[in-house]
Amino acid sequence: MNRRNDAVLGTRRISRRDTLRFGFGAAGIAATGGLIAHRSANAAGGGLGGRWAPWPHQGGETIVFLSTQLRPVEEAEKMRNTILADFEGSVDFIPEDTGPFNDRIAAEAEAGEGTIGVIGAQHGDFAALAARGYLADLTDLLQELSDRTFVEDYVQLGKFGGEEQLYIPWMQATYIMVAHREALQYLPEGLDEESLRTSLTYEQLGEWVRNINEAEGQKFGLPAGEDGLLHRFFQGYAYPSFTGGVNTTFKSEAAAQMWQWLKDTWQYANPQSVTYGAMDEPLLSGEVWVAWDHVARLISALRERTDDLIAFPAPRGPQGLGFMPVVAGLAIPKNAPDMEASRALIEYLTRPEVQATTLREVAFFPVIEGELPGDLPPGVQQEVDAVQATTSDPQALPSLLPVGLGEQDGAYNKVFRDTFQAIILDGNDIQQTLEQQAQNLQSVLDAAGASCWAPDPESEGVCQVG
Amino acid sequence: MTANVAAPSSERRRRARRRLLGRVLLYLGAALLALWVLAPIYIITVTAFSPRSVVYDYPKHLIPREVSAETMDFFVNSTGVLPSLWRSVQVALVTLALSTLIGAPAGYALARFAFRGRDTFRLAILSTRAFPIVILSIPLAVTFIEWGIYDTIWSVALMHTALALPFTVLITSSIFVSVPRDLEEAALTLGCTPISAFVRVVLPLALPGLAAASIFTFVLSWNEVFAAVILTLRERTLPALILAAITESPAPFRFAAAWFMAAPSLIFIFLIRRYLLGMWGRVSR
Repeated sequence: MNRRNDAVLGTRRISRRDTLRFGFGAAGIAATGGLIAHRSANAAGGGLGGRWAPWPHQGGETIVFLSTQLRPVEEAEKMRNTILADFEGSVDFIPEDTGPFNDRIAAEAEAGEGTIGVIGAQHGDFAALAARGYLADLTDLLQELSDRTFVEDYVQLGKFGGEEQLYIPWMQATYIMVAHREALQYLPEGLDEESLRTSLTYEQLGEWVRNINEAEGQKFGLPAGEDGLLHRFFQGYAYPSFTGGVNTTFKSEAAAQMWQWLKDTWQYANPQSVTYGAMDEPLLSGEVWVAWDHVARLISALRERTDDLIAFPAPRGPQGLGFMPVVAGLAIPKNAPDMEASRALIEYLTRPEVQATTLREVAFFPVIEGELPGDLPPGVQQEVDAVQATTSDPQALPSLLPVGLGEQDGAYNKVFRDTFQAIILDGNDIQQTLEQQAQNLQSVLDAAGASCWAPDPESEGVCQVG
Repeated sequence: MTANVAAPSSERRRRARRRLLGRVLLYLGAALLALWVLAPIYIITVTAFSPRSVVYDYPKHLIPREVSAETMDFFVNSTGVLPSLWRSVQVALVTLALSTLIGAPAGYALARFAFRGRDTFRLAILSTRAFPIVILSIPLAVTFIEWGIYDTIWSVALMHTALALPFTVLITSSIFVSVPRDLEEAALTLGCTPISAFVRVVLPLALPGLAAASIFTFVLSWNEVFAAVILTLRERTLPALILAAITESPAPFRFAAAWFMAAPSLIFIFLIRRYLLGMWGRVSR
């Protein structure tokens, strides 16, 4: 079975891994750096009418840029004052929670009168908007931007399975682990700070937090709170690493082993884990010494206490080092007040130098191929190193964000959180729970009509839970 | 005989002791209640003015060792905070004016006139609070966009007035009930018109109650987030702005924002407090 999967996935896996590597700029840095220079020279002579000439747009109207990303005060200020500083027009950057964000876009679409120029959001946030037809087709804009090479997988995600390009990739991120330096003395035999980056297994992670527990108490942490991203831990990390798949291996024997591992390890986790939305604060306060989370939810800890913390890749399992890159995109609502101005803003935000500034200031990674800037703040540099160690690992096994779920996105995540609740928190039987939840998972996939996505092998028709 | 003499004095002593115990318990209870309210405000204030590194210290220091306005400074000067503070004040004042202008006469009518369907009307007023605004949010936003007042303080003030009216009507009506009818009638016999009797006799007596109602209205408008978030985009009120900016911000900013939100309404309540005390003094007489 595994052999066959490997054969089927063989070529695909390599190409995905490569694109992701390029996206993070981990491989072939010199070569891609050269490419960028070459390409911008081409652009100068191309249809853009001079290098990076601003789009022609009338009037001095302020563009409203509504975003579910970069909500924290400091990040939003950096967006306004640094990242957008060189833009020719004026931009009102307004971060907003997903709930009101959706309502507002729906209201403007229904009223037929728009004030929002550009929408910045995560792939998952766009699903519902795309399904209801609120987003303008940006296929021609993507063609105009052909001088910057977007990560191909992300471009495909922006089509939502259709022909029209509904969003342009904006920035990407992934998940890593962060630990206190004090925790290093409890590393299991055979592991040190260096090998932590290259060979940590789930087994060893369990042993490590058990050692810490014996000496210092429950210091392991996962973001299992209501706002936490725990479901991604299963979808992109634990499942792929243990089983090599997600949906097709949901109730497999390997999956049961994964849940058993978490059950054994959870007793060393800080009981407050079920309230954590982001791991930066528990790490800063010292309640937690070893944590896994989204890079954007760890950066403030790494910035604040750079010398006390260490960032490293997520552990690897029997099937490899599962990890999940996530993407945010830029879209334009159909009734945007000034289409040209909106397009100019997207053009600006996807420029290589602006992408580099975005990484430096807010720790979101570029979505175009190219060399990463060298002058990064130490906290960001730590994240970059951990991410590069992940993507360049020979065992790396990238997962896509759930594809083609549309409005079922939330229900899909809920299956994983419910399974966690049942097995880990309520102590139910693993196999029995997996049987039950597999049915829920299948009905979600059926309702969405979604076929399998990486790391599951491609399916004909709806993805079948196994 | 001796037993008879001893009995009343021991009885008296026991009663005095009980009264003392009662008073101690009362003060203890009052102190606990005050602590319940003041302790969080104190901790928020201390933390809001601490340096960032201290915020994460555990256990917390009850007496601040270092004072720093660094986080506060960044928060207050970050984009939109000061204008939205001013907008929040405007919205609250407009809401206050509108809901008093509409609510007080309605309350007066409920208190003074017996008309068919009065009780139904009284109940119907409350039913507006039974509609969850969540399901109204999109239609409301669409309507306000069509009227051209979307994203202005007026749309938010109108919404807040609608939310505050039930309280204003019910509170003012119970206040007007407590103003004796005789006084008003006496004024009428002495040459007042109904309006001047209301203005010169009823209103001064009802002022403390109106002050209480206005506290409700002000605090409601000041704290209301949901409608403000949906109905504004660039012209945010303070809670709407803070909700978007703070839920995911690090703890120091949350403390700064909490203090910044709480302070103005505390000031308002302190200003209006003397009218409230007046109410207990006068109406209960």
